[in-house]
Amino acid sequence: MTLRDLLNKFVLVDTPSPLLKQAPTTVAFFAALVLTFTVPSLSFTNWGAALGGIWGIIIATALATIFTWSPKFERVALIIPCIDLLAIGFFRLGTGGATSLFSALIILPVIWIAVQPQRRYIILAAIGTSIALMMPFIMGFTPLESANDVIRGIFTPIVFATAAGIVNEMSRQGRVQVAAIRALAEERDLMLRGAVDYTNRLRENEERLQAADRLTRSVLDAVTEQSVIGTDVTGLVDVWNPGAERMLGLSAPDAQGKRYVHEFHDIDELLARSKELNYPPGETVLNPGFSALVESARLGQPEVRQWTYIRADGTTLSVEVAVTRRVDENLRTVGYIFVATDVTQALEVSRLKDEFVGLISHELRTPLSSILGYLELMRDDEENPLSDEQLQYLGVAERNAHRLLRLVGDLLFTAQVGSSSFSLDASDMEVAPVLRASVESAGPTAAAAGVELHIDIPPQISMINGDPVRLGQACDNLISNAIKFTPRGGTVTVSMKNVKDQVIISITDTGMGIPADELDQLFARFFRASTATRAAVPGVGLGLSITKAIVTAHKGELDVASEVGIGTAFIVRLPLSRPAQSPLVE
Amino acid sequence: MMEGALRVVVADDDPDIRTLVSIAVRRAGLDLVADVGTGDAALAAIREHLPNIAILDVSMPGMTGLEVTAALRAQPELSDIRIFLLSAGVTDAARQAGIDAGAEDYFFKPFSPRELAAKLADIVSSSKAAE
Repeated sequence: MTLRDLLNKFVLVDTPSPLLKQAPTTVAFFAALVLTFTVPSLSFTNWGAALGGIWGIIIATALATIFTWSPKFERVALIIPCIDLLAIGFFRLGTGGATSLFSALIILPVIWIAVQPQRRYIILAAIGTSIALMMPFIMGFTPLESANDVIRGIFTPIVFATAAGIVNEMSRQGRVQVAAIRALAEERDLMLRGAVDYTNRLRENEERLQAADRLTRSVLDAVTEQSVIGTDVTGLVDVWNPGAERMLGLSAPDAQGKRYVHEFHDIDELLARSKELNYPPGETVLNPGFSALVESARLGQPEVRQWTYIRADGTTLSVEVAVTRRVDENLRTVGYIFVATDVTQALEVSRLKDEFVGLISHELRTPLSSILGYLELMRDDEENPLSDEQLQYLGVAERNAHRLLRLVGDLLFTAQVGSSSFSLDASDMEVAPVLRASVESAGPTAAAAGVELHIDIPPQISMINGDPVRLGQACDNLISNAIKFTPRGGTVTVSMKNVKDQVIISITDTGMGIPADELDQLFARFFRASTATRAAVPGVGLGLSITKAIVTAHKGELDVASEVGIGTAFIVRLPLSRPAQSPLVE
Repeated sequence: MMEGALRVVVADDDPDIRTLVSIAVRRAGLDLVADVGTGDAALAAIREHLPNIAILDVSMPGMTGLEVTAALRAQPELSDIRIFLLSAGVTDAARQAGIDAGAEDYFFKPFSPRELAAKLADIVSSSKAAE
């Protein structure tokens, strides 16, 4: 409840209702009536006039009630005190005229009239009073007997008018004061509401900010396997998460605001990077170490790079650090974020894998080298030529040694795929010669297996960016597979064509086929189709996984379509490095 | 043994492979002055015999073929020696390391003695042509 409501309710100086204003007159009149009836010395001198007065007051009170109820009559409410004046005039006439005890009642409607804001109502009050007092003479009940009566008719209204004037002025001043108080109160209300609004908004913002802060903190705290370090533009640390504490062995209070991020880096690495970035030694760049760290991020390019962290106890840690820029609302750089992942284990695994690959390579290839080398010496020995039968035995030994060698190669290759040691020796190359060479080398095997080998390579150039050795290996695998899984009398067709920006190589056989539910596992390591194992076709299930890896490394795709008993088609799609050229010969 | 023939030192820790390489060297018409089984022995033999060609296995106990190569290249007076590495080589990175150390080329295991002899003969004739 506002101050204004309070004033209206209790003080009632603001806009009292007509009924409230009428109440004193009605109550006083009722008292006068009771007195007249009960006090023996009082009596009605003129019943008609007295009744007129009673009716007048009843009408006035009724009107006041109506007007209170329905405020639209407020403008004509002033008629009520006028009726009151006339009614009191009549009542006075009916209770003794000039000698009536109840002349004083006139003051009540006069005050009502007087509290109206305008001063002209003072005159109305005076005239009303005059009429009420002169009623006996006006109505002709009593002749004017003395000057006193006239004086009473004029003097009393003047006194009343003066009183009305005073009341009017007081009520005006009261109104002015109330208005001023109200204005002040409103102003204060307004300010208060503003202040409350502002406080609410402030609290909401604060809550939102705290929630955001809590979220950020909890996210940072949840990252325990990575160090998250934030700095300003000079490298001074201002964010240091638990991951950073764990990784670098320094607590947040010891790092924030006290240490620079490049202090945790290997200085030689930073200097090497500075050199790479062509920083003049210590000249134009304020801090070459830090600048080398953030150079790429500073230019708006987030960077992931391998670095060595130096922990608080001096030990080192291989990390991969992603550096990004922090910006303010105007997108100005205000600092950097460094998210580091410990790659020690990954590097160690990779190193062990490489070491294993190297060891196996050496330990398996060396004896195979001896076997193959000495078999060849035996075959080439002109002084002691071998019999045909011996040569045949030698061929079996050689073939199996080669098979073992291929298996070792496949195993090594499989181990390399996905590790750092697998890479393509890629250059611009033509596909057709590689494919032809593969078909050619598969010729003897196909002939021995009684499989017809068709080749369909149009005279067009298909240039790709690739590794001819690896690609040849992939083609060899696919073609030898096709021959291996095709029964005697079947056909293997190798074809190639350029379609849009791709070269499509397909190897189709009329072999035993692969069940549909096994197709999606076909490229998994060591997977062998049930048809292959049933038919006792030798192999360990590495060829296709290797082929897939090679094709993928060439940004190509390897697809298969097959039907049991009908045959299988492998399709290799490789991106052309130059747009497809029209056939040289049509 | 052969007058005027280029002299060769062969080093491989596997005696069978060493013999195989030696046979190829002889068939190429070269003069095998020493065949040894370790890197340290290879370095000693090379310093002693000052051969024209050294064929070194990459992985040997003690000094590896790469370390021997680096040691040889660190001695300017031995810079004329042509070094070939013998490897069951797998990775491109390992291959590049040998070339960076100062080897001229690689022979990969398994090798055909016939082809190795032909290659060595080629090398000899090309170096003779260069002279």
